[in-house]
Amino acid sequence: MPVWLREHRWRQTADAVYLSLPVRGLRVTPANIFCTDRYLKVSIPPFLFEAILYAAIDDTNSTAKIGNGIIFFTLYKKEAAMWDSLTLVNANKEKLQYLRENAVLKAHEKAKEEAEAKKVTKQEHRKCALEATMKLEEAERKRIEDLKETERQKVTKELELWKKQQEDAEKQKRVQKEGELDQEVEQLKEKKKEKMNKTRIPNEGASKTGLKATKGCHGSHSMFSENLKEEQLPAPRSAATIKINFTSRVFPTALRESRVAEEEEWLRKQAEARRTLSADLSELEDLKEEEKNPDWLKDKGNKMFAMGNYLAAVNAYNLAVRLNSKLPLLYLNRAACHLKLRNLHKAIEDSSKALELLTPPVPDNENARVKAYVRRGTAFCQLELYTEGLQDYEAALKIDPKRKTVEKDAEKIRHLIQGTMQDS
Amino acid sequence: KIEKAKPLKCGTFGATSLQQRYFATGDFGGNLNIWNLEAPEIPVYSVKGHKEIINSIDGVGGLGIGEGAPEIVTGSRDGTVKVWDPRQKDTPVANMEPVQGESKRDCWTVAFGNAYNQEERVVCAGYDNGDIKLFDLKTMSLRWETNIKNGVCSVEFDRKDVNMNKLVATSLEGKFHVFDMRTQHPTKGFASVSEKAQKSTIWQVRHLPQNRDIFMTSGGAGSLNLWKYEYPAQRSKKDSEGAEMGVAGSVSLLQNVTLSTQPISSLDWSPDKKGLCVCGAFDQTVRVLIVTKLNKV
Repeated sequence: MPVWLREHRWRQTADAVYLSLPVRGLRVTPANIFCTDRYLKVSIPPFLFEAILYAAIDDTNSTAKIGNGIIFFTLYKKEAAMWDSLTLVNANKEKLQYLRENAVLKAHEKAKEEAEAKKVTKQEHRKCALEATMKLEEAERKRIEDLKETERQKVTKELELWKKQQEDAEKQKRVQKEGELDQEVEQLKEKKKEKMNKTRIPNEGASKTGLKATKGCHGSHSMFSENLKEEQLPAPRSAATIKINFTSRVFPTALRESRVAEEEEWLRKQAEARRTLSADLSELEDLKEEEKNPDWLKDKGNKMFAMGNYLAAVNAYNLAVRLNSKLPLLYLNRAACHLKLRNLHKAIEDSSKALELLTPPVPDNENARVKAYVRRGTAFCQLELYTEGLQDYEAALKIDPKRKTVEKDAEKIRHLIQGTMQDS
Repeated sequence: KIEKAKPLKCGTFGATSLQQRYFATGDFGGNLNIWNLEAPEIPVYSVKGHKEIINSIDGVGGLGIGEGAPEIVTGSRDGTVKVWDPRQKDTPVANMEPVQGESKRDCWTVAFGNAYNQEERVVCAGYDNGDIKLFDLKTMSLRWETNIKNGVCSVEFDRKDVNMNKLVATSLEGKFHVFDMRTQHPTKGFASVSEKAQKSTIWQVRHLPQNRDIFMTSGGAGSLNLWKYEYPAQRSKKDSEGAEMGVAGSVSLLQNVTLSTQPISSLDWSPDKKGLCVCGAFDQTVRVLIVTKLNKV
């Protein structure tokens, strides 16, 4: 239950009502005061003061002054009349309630309207501001454009002037030249006669001292001086070649930093694809990571071959082939090992397999194909199957006709064949 | 209007005298021809210099600039860089080719430099794998090489006819590098500063003939950027072992303009009028431009 404040005092004039309400010791803020045109309430919990006014007041213009322990209201009446009392006396509870609610509603509406009005004004202000800035920017742009335009015109004029100057200069030069030409012709004719009497200076390896003498005569702009001038230049350089190496790059396209990551990714995937696919062979579990890499095994095999340990090389290649049966180089190298080990049939098999894998025949695998043919040819010959051997040698020659050893061997085989044929 | 059998890729007036004004061209078939434009039916000099398209050509010793024999250098997709003397037929006077068995890279650009007296010359070549190589023609050797991690589209010395001072190399990915060529460190080579601009390939760089610290780069997005190089307080310093090492300066952008949506693939300054330049783009237009206020830079 609120505590009612009843110690108010009021007085009135024709237009206004002055109400003073003591609120000893209480802190009052504008939020505590609620006022509509028929209803006034001051609520400072738990204290409450309420007045249902006798007549309507103009609540927008009315004021409340909060002072030391007292609130002083100045309420302007809507109609200038004297009130019998501050509040409606014979009001029953329902009416009171109704009036209260009404008051609250009215207050709400008022608040809404005010808010709307504020929004509208705000928007207008913003629009105004925007237009103002736009105008400023426009002015700035125009200023810069004007500057540029004046500059452009100035420069065009200068350019025209300069062009004209050049033309005049050209004309003058031409006139001058014609005048001088006659003189010069005489001069140079004499000088040329002089030169012919001196020893002829050869063009290659020209001695510079001789040239310096002719440099003495001034370079003039007529045709006759062309020959003289040529001899003033140093001789062409002696030809030489500089060998260079490039930073290695796998891809034929140009190097771009933004693509480097992609390219690395691609290369890595390629390398992985060439590694073992069947990882479920139980024996492979014993092997170290590198030993599962066919490239590494190939290198190992090559090293063994170079050292002369052909059996070990064959082993290495065997394992590599098990891991990846599509690398022609493995078969090629294994064929070489078999040749050395005199396993001629195996050599033939391997060279044939290598050749199979080396289709399509492109310049890149020329080298490899020549080797394959030569090895198979050698194997055939060692088995005394000379015709097949010759066929292979000739195939090798067709790919690369410049290999002298292959040619010689082919010749030898031919002779052998002819020899055997003659015998039989 | 003159039409020839094979499309032309590049050309230069660099090796011709001011009277003759012969134009040297490299075409898509690998032929180097020198034409007298007054009588263009038969070339004055012709050689099938390369097996593939000649990507870039440069000339030195002509136009009254510099001293020494006039020479033309061509760089081709076959990976070789050859130097020709118009007085010597059929064989180049220098040939920079890959070692036997080495796979070749496209040479995209070549430039002459350091031609300050009759003997000295260098040729700088840029390749598609980012290599830049500097060849000394007097000693016929490779003087310096480096890799800038992007294909090199264009190299140019700031002046061909002085002791080599600066070299600008532009590349893919919108980057270019400015090398200070006065001090060569035995292992680190030349000092450089690099700048990323234009977001697309920088097709060409050209220095202003009247001021060698100003250069323009043209980009794949149809834009031109004008740059100024500022030298550092000290151009060289000693490193920990006491060897001289160059110090690179800084580059600042003076102005830029976008002219086209297509790449501007070539540009050149006029030697007579300061600021007058011409550029050609992939949108089949040739534009003549003028850059003002260069005196105040």
